[in-house]
Amino acid sequence: MEKKLQELKKRFLQELDGVKDSRLLFDLKNRYLGRQGELTKVLKEVKNLAAEEKPKIGKLANEVKNELTDVFLKTERIINNNQGTTLDFDPSLPGIKETIGHLHPSSIVQYEMEDIFAQMGFGVYDGPQVESEYYNFTALNTPNDHPARDSQDTFWLEQGLLLRSQTSNLQVRMLEKYGAPFRGVFPGRVFRNEATDASHDHTFYQLEGLMVDKNINIGNLIAVMKSFLSEFFNTEVDVRLRPGFFPFVEPGFELDIKCLICDGQGCSVCKQSGWVELMPCGLVHPEVIKAGGLDPQEYSGFAFGLGFTRLVMMRYKIDDIRLLQSGDLRFLKQF
Amino acid sequence: MYLSLDWVKDWIKLPKDLSAKQLALDFTMAIVEVEEVVDRAANLQDIVVGRINEIAKHPDADRLQVCQVDIGEKIEQIVCGGINLSKGMLVAVAKPGSRVKWHGEGELITLAKTKIRGVESSGMISASEEIGLGSLFPQKSDKEILDLSGFKVKVGQNLAEALGLNDIIIDIDNKSINHRPDLWGQYGLARELAAIYKLKLKEYGTFDLKGQSEVKLKVTVEDKDNCFRYLGLAIKNVKVEDSPWWLKKRLEAVGIRPINNLVDVTNYVMYELGQPMHVFDAKQIEDSHIIVKQANKGDKFVTLDGENRKLPDGSLMICDSKKYVALAGIMGGQNSEIGTDTTEIILESANFKATNIRRTAIGVGLRSESSARFEKSLDPVLAETAIRRATQLVLELCPEAYVASNLVDVDNNPFKPITLEVPEQLINNRFGVTIPTAEIKDILQRLKFDLKYKAKIFTIGVPSFRATKDISIPEDIVEEVARIYGYDNINFQLPKVTISSLQASEEHAAARDIKTWLSLSQEYCEVYNYPFTNQSWAKKIGLDLNNHLKVKNALSPEQAYLNISLLPNLLARAEENIRWFGEFRIYELERVFEKTNKSIYHTDNTRKKFLPKQDKYLAGVEVSKKNPPELFLATKGLLEALMEHLNIEVSFEPIRLEYGTVVYNIRYHDTDLGYFGLLDKSLFDSGDVKVNVAFWQINFTLLLKYINKAKRYIPLAKFPAVYRDMAVVVDANLLWADLQAEVTKVSTLIRHLEPFDIFSGTGIKDGKKSVAFHLEFRSHDRTLLTEDVDKLMEQILEVLKKKFKAILR
Repeated sequence: MEKKLQELKKRFLQELDGVKDSRLLFDLKNRYLGRQGELTKVLKEVKNLAAEEKPKIGKLANEVKNELTDVFLKTERIINNNQGTTLDFDPSLPGIKETIGHLHPSSIVQYEMEDIFAQMGFGVYDGPQVESEYYNFTALNTPNDHPARDSQDTFWLEQGLLLRSQTSNLQVRMLEKYGAPFRGVFPGRVFRNEATDASHDHTFYQLEGLMVDKNINIGNLIAVMKSFLSEFFNTEVDVRLRPGFFPFVEPGFELDIKCLICDGQGCSVCKQSGWVELMPCGLVHPEVIKAGGLDPQEYSGFAFGLGFTRLVMMRYKIDDIRLLQSGDLRFLKQF
Repeated sequence: MYLSLDWVKDWIKLPKDLSAKQLALDFTMAIVEVEEVVDRAANLQDIVVGRINEIAKHPDADRLQVCQVDIGEKIEQIVCGGINLSKGMLVAVAKPGSRVKWHGEGELITLAKTKIRGVESSGMISASEEIGLGSLFPQKSDKEILDLSGFKVKVGQNLAEALGLNDIIIDIDNKSINHRPDLWGQYGLARELAAIYKLKLKEYGTFDLKGQSEVKLKVTVEDKDNCFRYLGLAIKNVKVEDSPWWLKKRLEAVGIRPINNLVDVTNYVMYELGQPMHVFDAKQIEDSHIIVKQANKGDKFVTLDGENRKLPDGSLMICDSKKYVALAGIMGGQNSEIGTDTTEIILESANFKATNIRRTAIGVGLRSESSARFEKSLDPVLAETAIRRATQLVLELCPEAYVASNLVDVDNNPFKPITLEVPEQLINNRFGVTIPTAEIKDILQRLKFDLKYKAKIFTIGVPSFRATKDISIPEDIVEEVARIYGYDNINFQLPKVTISSLQASEEHAAARDIKTWLSLSQEYCEVYNYPFTNQSWAKKIGLDLNNHLKVKNALSPEQAYLNISLLPNLLARAEENIRWFGEFRIYELERVFEKTNKSIYHTDNTRKKFLPKQDKYLAGVEVSKKNPPELFLATKGLLEALMEHLNIEVSFEPIRLEYGTVVYNIRYHDTDLGYFGLLDKSLFDSGDVKVNVAFWQINFTLLLKYINKAKRYIPLAKFPAVYRDMAVVVDANLLWADLQAEVTKVSTLIRHLEPFDIFSGTGIKDGKKSVAFHLEFRSHDRTLLTEDVDKLMEQILEVLKKKFKAILR
């Protein structure tokens, strides 16, 4: 009896699997589950069993009946709901989307960077773009006639004012305002008086970082940059420092990252060197700490200046920097 | 700056197993970045010395000859069109497979065995320009073959090896050594290499010379502030001719074209020591008297290159008793230059103030190799070494020459010796790793610092060549030790920090929130514009350019004025995008700059003066095919929604603007936050497309003050509301706002009022309109009965009749 039930179940399920329309379904139902159906017949036999077998087999028979009925009903619903393809619309038409606007790609990347730094306790700050010589140069240990002023061709306004050539203009402003310890990043646009081409624009974006506290050392700078870059590129990034001169840091460095395209093996992106120059950085020059109103004997710090327009271009494979300021919606709507 | 590995071998012996690539990497990691490594022999591969054994006429070409050339391993037949071929002549043979320039022009091509007019030819007998040696062997005609007969070379020998051209050049970016006056000569570079590879560095030498009094050379320095040192020496009986091969070869290696032996000597010393020099034809110097003083205002001077230059104020000049003879530190004068007939010279080796040279060079628009070096603040001690070295070289090159004056030296060196006290702890603290004391000592000694160590403090004497500006504070010593010890040896360690109270920027958070809201919920595209205003649009919207801050050195006249409004650039962008899109919304959030008002930012630490006001503005433009009322209301709706988002209760009031048709300002109590409206369409060129344009602009910095984060929830209604509609006919010019105000006044039970149908025309008298609106009534303490609401409806109608002569429809 038990064997018969199992066999019946197996056969039913096999047949059900092959059923494709409601006519066959109806037929199947009659043959097994109907009043004269095979299962019904078996169930009727239960009462003829020996008393000691009756509870066990009875239970099993009921279980089989319930299971088969459930499976049948489920199949029936599926078949009925999807019956025919007589839909009154074409579901293969494109979906209807709510149109939304777009953030500028530089904003997207900037926010991503800010969030990473925020998690490391760096606040986000902003400041003037029309700036004095003092904060853009002099307070940064770059007095008048310093050749380093040459390498930043500056837009000059009347009365010794200028368009800031670097976000570093906020270093001393922030130290004056907030003192130490200080941890902050200053994203924003900067300006250089140079001719534009596909890879140079007179207006571009930097993210400056400044940390001043007691006993800040070079190892701290690298560790923070490595954490940031690994998070930003979403992969473990190797960095190296090499000497670089910037008047407002001492020692000053260029920070390179191991080329992410070739993993340091050498390719056209890294000019076969395995490394890509990413940002100038260094320990804050004592004169800058002093200009910020702090004692360089007590405080030290690090600063870095990340030209993140380049990161935006790297991220989206943008080959002409001028697209970013073009206001061309064919470009901007892609982000 | 080029570093020649052949040249520095005069003082150091580089490790044998050191590859040029490794050297470049080490240089980059410890000193400054190397741009490129150039193997000079690379382009001379497969070019060998050959001897012409036989010359025969080409059977089919008058101007060609068929030569049998011994190239060592075999005799090759080569067809050649050279005009100076002779039997037995030593020539440079470019073998098949070598890379040459046809007739010295165009790209390098690879030679192959070929037939020339039917005659087999295996390679090429080269002219100097064809194998990149044009500057070492100037050609008189393009058919002139390089004749090597005067050289001690072996047949079959590789040409680079034979001529000693197998040098490796390390190209260093000049900008990266702005701060290192000591690295502008080969000896200084050798000194650094000696330090990083722990090599013995040969002393440069002092080059004794004996003065004579035949010529009474006199030097007067009138401007001591700008001329720190001036040395002069007269030499007689010189003979101007070509420099010897070894000298030419070295100059050429560092990118200098050889001119004649005397000029070449000054260039050689400049490239060796970093000290620029000058040589005068002594016969042109009146009274053998050199005077150093500033130029008279407005004077002109003809420099060596033949240019008649207007001298900027403050230009330092080298003069004789009657005239200017050189623009100090920048370029000599045509009137005293060395010519083929020069027999007597005066050598100059001087030191000028960096800022003066820099200013004059910029002013006169002439940056020379000499001025580039003086700008870096050279060590005045070098000037003497240089003139002694140059004298030795002149005497070597002109055996007949002799020193004819005393070495005149006017020394006003302002640089004091620098001694720094550097605690050992400072070095280790900044580096983040403890470097053994002996290692620190060794590094500093290798860099030629004078050293004492006592009680964990280094007392460091800075050598004169590093003391003019490069090394001045203990942190500079930290860098010196760290870079040689190696940045690779640093422990990466996240800083241990003090958590300080957060000074988060609310402005920044709000800007980000608003931008995200506009972009991700309002179909607005964010645009970045330049800070320079679009002048044509500025004028169209009534902005006076005289009120704009002006850029003095603008890239172009179109980029001369800074934005005082974001709208001109946005409108220009809108006009451009019409080509591609029929409808769109764009916005920008950036600073604008005011000419007269002041900001909160002070200009320096005295905090007395303030920068121009530069608030952030938020502005947008919508280009749309909607009709004007719809577009206006859509823009108003956007701003209402924005203000709700920021929880700022604003009101709108009509204002008049010359460029807008319907314009309202946005007010918070008595403060104007901004305005919005529809643009006068005649200003906007939309081509064939018919569109309407809306604009809006808000002072974001001001808006920020009123953003209200304190929001309190309104308890959910306990009793049901009753909804009714009403339609009335009123005067066509009645404003909804007025109607709404009167209705609302009737009872506090009226919770909400919303128009749903406004029309005029069919069935409505002229000058009238029908206004239909929904009403919501609700009480906070009971369920309203039908009678209550009926009564209120009557009251409302009464009021509307009385106030607006409304008729119920």
